[in-house]
Amino acid sequence: MAEPLLEVADLSVRFDTDDGQVHAVDRLSFALAAGEVLGIVGESGCGKSVTCMSLLGLLPETAAVSGRVEFGGVDLLGLSPRRLRQVRGRQISYVFQEPMTSLNPVFTVGRQIGEVLHRHLGLSRGAARKRTIELLELVRIPAPERRVDEYPHQLSGGMRQRVMIAMALACDPQILIADEPTTALDVTIQAGILDLMREVRERLGTAIILITHNLGVIADIADRVVVMYAGRKAEEAAVHELFAHPQHPYTIGLLGAIPRPAEERPERLQEIPGRVPSLAELPDRCAFADRCPRADAACEHVPPLHLARPEHVVACVHPGAEVHA
Amino acid sequence: MSAVAEQSGGPLVSRRRRRLRLLRKRFLRRPMAVAGLLVVVFFVVLAVFAPWIAPYGYGATDFNALLAHPSAKHLLGTDELGRDELSRIVWSARASMQVGFFSTMLAMLIAVPIGMVAGYYRGWADTVVARVTDVLLAFPFLILAVGLAAILGPSLMNATLALGIGSIPGFIRIARGETFALREEDYVPAAVVNGAGDGTIIFRHILPNMTSTLLVQATVTIPQAIVGEAVLSFLGLGVQPPTPSWGVMLQDAQSYLSQAPRLAVYPGLAIVLAALAFNVLGDGLRDILDPRTTR
Repeated sequence: MAEPLLEVADLSVRFDTDDGQVHAVDRLSFALAAGEVLGIVGESGCGKSVTCMSLLGLLPETAAVSGRVEFGGVDLLGLSPRRLRQVRGRQISYVFQEPMTSLNPVFTVGRQIGEVLHRHLGLSRGAARKRTIELLELVRIPAPERRVDEYPHQLSGGMRQRVMIAMALACDPQILIADEPTTALDVTIQAGILDLMREVRERLGTAIILITHNLGVIADIADRVVVMYAGRKAEEAAVHELFAHPQHPYTIGLLGAIPRPAEERPERLQEIPGRVPSLAELPDRCAFADRCPRADAACEHVPPLHLARPEHVVACVHPGAEVHA
Repeated sequence: MSAVAEQSGGPLVSRRRRRLRLLRKRFLRRPMAVAGLLVVVFFVVLAVFAPWIAPYGYGATDFNALLAHPSAKHLLGTDELGRDELSRIVWSARASMQVGFFSTMLAMLIAVPIGMVAGYYRGWADTVVARVTDVLLAFPFLILAVGLAAILGPSLMNATLALGIGSIPGFIRIARGETFALREEDYVPAAVVNGAGDGTIIFRHILPNMTSTLLVQATVTIPQAIVGEAVLSFLGLGVQPPTPSWGVMLQDAQSYLSQAPRLAVYPGLAIVLAALAFNVLGDGLRDILDPRTTR
């Protein structure tokens, strides 16, 4: 890989709560190249959102973040709140899961996007309006010159998510972080939003970090995938490689749990037995061992990340396609 | 076909106007609120145009008609100095409206920023603000205002200050509570990720979302201040004679209650009517601004 745009090294996030410490992310490292779509998959609570929020300093003060996040020659984790605000929305944008409520109900769409343009680029009202209409056009909102003066409640959920994406793209950021951008939407609208993100990447060259628990979405759009489990990276590979040759038993389990059309479906959907361990007490061993059919004495220490196949990293001492009995 | 086109779009400018039209329609469906608005407007007009509306000056005496009964010359009669009762009621609207509006504005200007900052940041500062507000709210509003007016000295200006300060705790509590709730809305983190600072979030994103609540609170506070002004003036802590105010008139009328009870009745009615009108208007506004209202 060429010089990465964003490099995350040894990122750990710990929350101090009344019930003790919670390790949300444990020594996570990954890199993002310019124009690349990186998918981060994992089930709820595996730390994928926390990871991305920590990049922009969005976590509450109870979070202790350590590690290094190299972006444009600086460590994002060391930036002052003021410098961080200049990065947010300007160089790195973030789109949340809730398009229905992420827009302020009392302002028109145009005014909300215009505010971002004014803040970061100092555009005048007229120039901001012109640019806003262009942006709405870019995200394929029909009749943008009319929609720009509408209030959020006049738009459908899919439209609102498009507006959020337009707002995120307003200042032509280098990275767009999309946190489950399609989860709250209908399947057909999901597909439209994914098409849009693909198009954004192709037309603007924006690198995208896509957080999701939906492997279908990943297969659709991502170039590379990081699979997270209990705050740690379980596996990382290019998307085709991962789907063709999953190595970690957790990934294999996830793939087995995807519903497929009837003709290629086994009798029952496969499930992964057991549940995610509590993050309060991250075990000093493989976090997946309790649920893993391959677990044995070798899993009693944290498995190191290693190359299982070319450009395919996995944290498991028993990697491979076959389930050893 | 044309109906569909109308529904889905129409020229854009008309959208905001359409919302206003909807609000107006809802408002007009509430006869009490409309009546309240008319009476409020009536009193404001009286206050602003008193010199042109009142038949006589507020201090003009007619020694041929002391404590006179209502007549063609003096529609509501005269007081013990032969001053025209109707004219004095009209002039008095000035003091009441001034105190009502300015004390409420003063309270909002001070209380809303404090309440919002406390509600937004929480922490120990918020605890201090909340507890002090609770203590102040434990005092009856009028006792607080009377105490303050006594300290500041009697004048219309000081009565306004006293009543304004007395209204601060109520506004703080509302601004703080609303901010508390609104800062949890998803558009707050959405603004944060777009680089907005705290000031922008508090005053540009949260404040506009609570304007209707504040408006309703204002329509409750104004009549409170109007009554408060009357009380302070009655006690000699507000408007000073010869400048008239409904409270001053009540105070004057006290000595002649047996001979001319009407002297107390007219200013009393004016106070009741003005206060009631604001309250009724406020109720109406609260109803139409509530998004759950469908009618």
